[in-house]
Amino acid sequence: MIPFHLLFPVAILAGFVGAMSGMGGGIILIPALTLLGVDIKHAIAISILSVIATSSGSASAYVRDHITNLKVGMFLEMFTIVGALAGAAITLVSSTRPLYIAFGGVLLGSWLALLLVGHESWHSVTNQDGITRWLELEGSYPDQVLGQTIHYKARRAYLGAPLMFGAGVIAGLLGIGAGAVKVLIHDLVMGLPPKVSTTTSNLIIGVTALAGTSVYLAAGLISPGLAAPVILGVVLGAFLGTRLLVRLSNQSVRRFFLLVLLILAVEMIVRGIRGA
Amino acid sequence: MMMQGRSSSPDLESSAESRQLEMDVLVGYILLGGVLLSMLLIVIGLVWKYIESGGVRLDYELAGMNLFQFVISEVHIAVLGEIRPRLLINMGIVVLMLTPFFRVLASMVYFFVVLKNWKYTVFTLFVLLVLTGSLFLR
Repeated sequence: MIPFHLLFPVAILAGFVGAMSGMGGGIILIPALTLLGVDIKHAIAISILSVIATSSGSASAYVRDHITNLKVGMFLEMFTIVGALAGAAITLVSSTRPLYIAFGGVLLGSWLALLLVGHESWHSVTNQDGITRWLELEGSYPDQVLGQTIHYKARRAYLGAPLMFGAGVIAGLLGIGAGAVKVLIHDLVMGLPPKVSTTTSNLIIGVTALAGTSVYLAAGLISPGLAAPVILGVVLGAFLGTRLLVRLSNQSVRRFFLLVLLILAVEMIVRGIRGA
Repeated sequence: MMMQGRSSSPDLESSAESRQLEMDVLVGYILLGGVLLSMLLIVIGLVWKYIESGGVRLDYELAGMNLFQFVISEVHIAVLGEIRPRLLINMGIVVLMLTPFFRVLASMVYFFVVLKNWKYTVFTLFVLLVLTGSLFLR
């Protein structure tokens, strides 16, 4: 059993870095917990439970500010929750080594995504397809920076939906929010404005994590002694991380995070190959 | 309310839009309330544990059970009057798990009763059924 005075600061750090980088707490929390000696399946289960807290906490503010698109969220949730159930079921029957390697792979992918992150400006979709129109996937939100209401339409829901199933599988399998994957799908495939895509992804992550958590709870992998300090720490860290607003536009923070991500990725893959 | 002038009856359109905005507020407060209540229960549980035993070590596991069995066993303990730190922490976890669930339930009721949007009532109903099913997993 890991003592509280070790677990709590690690969870705060994971929540802090997760919020600051926009990657979510799990991506740091799971490698950290396994380094402290927690079995990877327990670490995944605790992480996905804490993801419910962080995503719901931040989603609440964005929803009330009318930035989140509830319809886009509700539609895509149908796919992510089924994916999360499948992903968590795979984790239960999987041996631990492939999990380490898969986690390392996702870390590498996030590292690459962060490295290549584009600064393309967003343009509203003009040629909305029939399916997306039928799904009423459009909306508007008040942009505080521009001081005006932005109207937008989404597109290619038929492509976004199956991809979101895949994002759900990753979330359930590895106990992370997989927010980066969801944002990419919203941005590149469905053409949502960046603010709408990150906040809506936040909303979706909450229910997706719940679906995954239910599988881990049924399997007896949630231990409250581990969960209580971790949830508190991650939420506190995430709160501090968003308040301080040390965003990745700050180059040194960005470089530091890229380095941490790369080290963790290599470390997880090596442990997977060596047999932890 | 910003209009795009595509509706033949602007009043109707803007009232539907303001109802949509009300839904945002409702969903936002469910999420906020759930997370805060859950954190509060866990903090009280941990502080109580610390006062009681001088440490916050919680050496117990939950036997594999679904959320509803979990809730029933906890309520049973509470009814017996054995409110202990462990119960509060468990309830914190339960509240946390029920937060997104109630968010979906509230959205479904809203789509159905207020917005009368059948399409999205069906979508949210599907999400609700899958979640309910998964919470009964054992």
